[in-house]
Amino acid sequence: MLLSPYRVLDMTNERGMLAGQILADLGADVICIEPPSGSSARAIGPFAGDQVSPDTSLFWWAYARNKRGITCDLDHPDGQSLVRQLAQTADFVIESDDPGAMSARGLGYANLAADHDQLIYTSISAFGQHGPKARYQSTDLILMAAGGPLILTGGQGDPPVRVSVPQAWSHASGEAASAALIALRARRAIGRGQHVDISAQQAVAAATMSAILAHSIGANETPRVAGGMAVGPFTGKLIWPASDGYISLTFLFGSGIGPFSRRLFEWIHEEGECDLADRDLDWIGLGAEFISGARPLSEWDRLMEVVGAFLSKRSRETLFREAQARSLLIVPVTTVDEVANSEQFEAREFWREHDMPHWPDPVRFPGPFVKLSHNEIEYRYPAPTLGQHNAEVYGELGLSENDLSDLRARHVI
Amino acid sequence: MTTPLPSIPSIPTDGALAGLKVLDLMWVVAGPTATRTMADFGATVVRIESANRIETARGIGPFHHNAQGPDHSGLFSNMNVNKLGLSLNLGVEAGRDVLLDLIGWCDVLAESFSPRAMRAWGMDYESLRQAHPDLIMLSTCLFGQEGPLSRVAGFGTMGAAIGGYIALAGNPGEAPVGPYSAYTDYLSPRFSLPTILAALDHRDRTGEGLYIDQAQAESSLHFMSTALLDYTINGRVPQLVGNSDPDMAPHGCFRASGDDDWVAIAIRNDEDWANLCVAMGQAELTCDDRFADLAARKSHETELSEMVAAWTAQHHAVQIEYMLQAFGIPAHAVSNSSVAPDDPQLRHRQHFITMEHPVHGVTTIEAAKGQMSETPPSYRSSAPSIGRDNELVLRDILGYDDERIAQLAIADALT
Repeated sequence: MLLSPYRVLDMTNERGMLAGQILADLGADVICIEPPSGSSARAIGPFAGDQVSPDTSLFWWAYARNKRGITCDLDHPDGQSLVRQLAQTADFVIESDDPGAMSARGLGYANLAADHDQLIYTSISAFGQHGPKARYQSTDLILMAAGGPLILTGGQGDPPVRVSVPQAWSHASGEAASAALIALRARRAIGRGQHVDISAQQAVAAATMSAILAHSIGANETPRVAGGMAVGPFTGKLIWPASDGYISLTFLFGSGIGPFSRRLFEWIHEEGECDLADRDLDWIGLGAEFISGARPLSEWDRLMEVVGAFLSKRSRETLFREAQARSLLIVPVTTVDEVANSEQFEAREFWREHDMPHWPDPVRFPGPFVKLSHNEIEYRYPAPTLGQHNAEVYGELGLSENDLSDLRARHVI
Repeated sequence: MTTPLPSIPSIPTDGALAGLKVLDLMWVVAGPTATRTMADFGATVVRIESANRIETARGIGPFHHNAQGPDHSGLFSNMNVNKLGLSLNLGVEAGRDVLLDLIGWCDVLAESFSPRAMRAWGMDYESLRQAHPDLIMLSTCLFGQEGPLSRVAGFGTMGAAIGGYIALAGNPGEAPVGPYSAYTDYLSPRFSLPTILAALDHRDRTGEGLYIDQAQAESSLHFMSTALLDYTINGRVPQLVGNSDPDMAPHGCFRASGDDDWVAIAIRNDEDWANLCVAMGQAELTCDDRFADLAARKSHETELSEMVAAWTAQHHAVQIEYMLQAFGIPAHAVSNSSVAPDDPQLRHRQHFITMEHPVHGVTTIEAAKGQMSETPPSYRSSAPSIGRDNELVLRDILGYDDERIAQLAIADALT
């Protein structure tokens, strides 16, 4: 696999687990370190069968795949010593504790790199390691507010509304995986590792589609338009009611989208629901006509109404089928069950099944995030049970069964 | 105000990825985000565009000074900082010949055409690898290179719809609102970029190239794995719940006193709740049985939210943020583009960078997101206007002479 030669010590909690998982899926030997009482991520629901237990957290199942799991009390001097030894064998450390917490344990970048200058140490935090908000308390909602995406989502005048599945820490974790691998390439050039500092606040700013720059470049604030987007003076509507639910239609003019709009109006005309003049508009140059005033903006609203009336009489399935036949930018707004049952993902053999400990049936997981010509992403092993690989990993450090018993007795592992 | 950085297109010589050569045939956001990061850290990224088919991002706002035009999009200028722009007409053979030369030059070829396009030109991976066995090629599109929907042309807005994201945001009983715009475009580079970097490392060790087939809709499902598992295991389908959270109450965006001014507040536990009561000057509420614990607060969430909103309406969101954070309560003003540049933390992180721009005098871009202690990013040039760097690419990178360049112009290859 692509990253087979590399070892990662993953000391993250629920804030950073996706980072290590991306590296694990790409083939790195990722060892996740949990406190002896279990990672706080194991307490995150939902739970399989709604049975609340450390081994049934679906969050843990989803983001600890392909990792080996060990326990270690990072607040115990002997635990800290074990981590220091393990870090000597690692290329990467990833952590997502509060800024300063790892240094206080003697496990910060400066501590671990002192004996191992090749180490790439990635810290994931809410606002970054330093600065006036570094100690701020945060949650998913708070970070989406702080980084800019939240103000853009929701209806005009309504309170901003978030995606109900938490997203902020996944953005930060994805950013961390990339940055850690940039540091790996840099290591070849400069001959040493470095400290990578990821701020979730900055990472989620990517989800503003650069709207966060509006004021700085002299543009108006981007309006919050439920299910739509503003393109200059135009409000583009993206979510439209069909007869049996919602669809997404990208409807606009210009060289990129205009040809699709032209084909949509060809269909509308065929069905007798618009006149020839609408069909034959200059769908590429239409925007310029509106801006110059050659055509009143109210015409755009009328065209939206024509489209809305047309869509609302047809089912999602009809619209999607015709969209494919006619090359239109229409897809259904699908719910999670429809995603899980999608023919497309099935046809690409996307899903992967794992037997999970403490669960009777095989569990179907989202499959590899990319398909590769060779060195394919493999789902080698499911999320580990608590301390599952203690003997194996500490054994590799040269610890004997007696040593482990002793550490266990003293609650270090 | 700091002095804007100069914009001087060049072939970078230092940075974490110095020496890496990337050919960028992608557009809009999903692909260009990944190549932007590579460019920031020192890769030479040549981006192909054609004036015959204006890149969609050039038509998407925010626009500098609210004016339209191919060089006015703040989105485009943010996505394409540090890249070299070559205008190339791939509709003519002479243009495709230049493309083949650039493919010979690059380490990484990244394209986001619909699956048909590259095959039609004989530039699919199987054809290209014959001459370039160590080529790393990324094809990224909404649904991937095969399957019943692989021919559906699509933007990230559609990925957000068919990938299940639109249906995850909105208020109960209303139409879903979804996350802002092309949501899967923001998720896809989280997976494509690490894969490219891992492939490069593997190639350096083994000499092997790699083909990466990214279906953006598939990658993006990893940001909602728990919801998928909750359905496949527990049969539960997420409903529209506004900002409510099963483990926190109150939890939401509350109107503050300014214009479109909101503050996000998340009360995680009884301690946060007690602190909030004190902060609001209503310490007596801590003894109110209606709000005694999470279960009680959840069952009285509506009246609770109204009480909080009555208080937040008296203050500015930023003031509330400072006040509540001083009590250790997770709270933050719901930032927008006017507030964010003054956010002391984003200033500390130098998130906003001003740079000279040939059309606007000065522009503002976002910094690279990862801060690295030894190999910081650099900001060398603003996003290219169409064909801005033709000379640099054709002469300095490909070594073409005057005659060759003249021939290309005559063949209409450079438009």
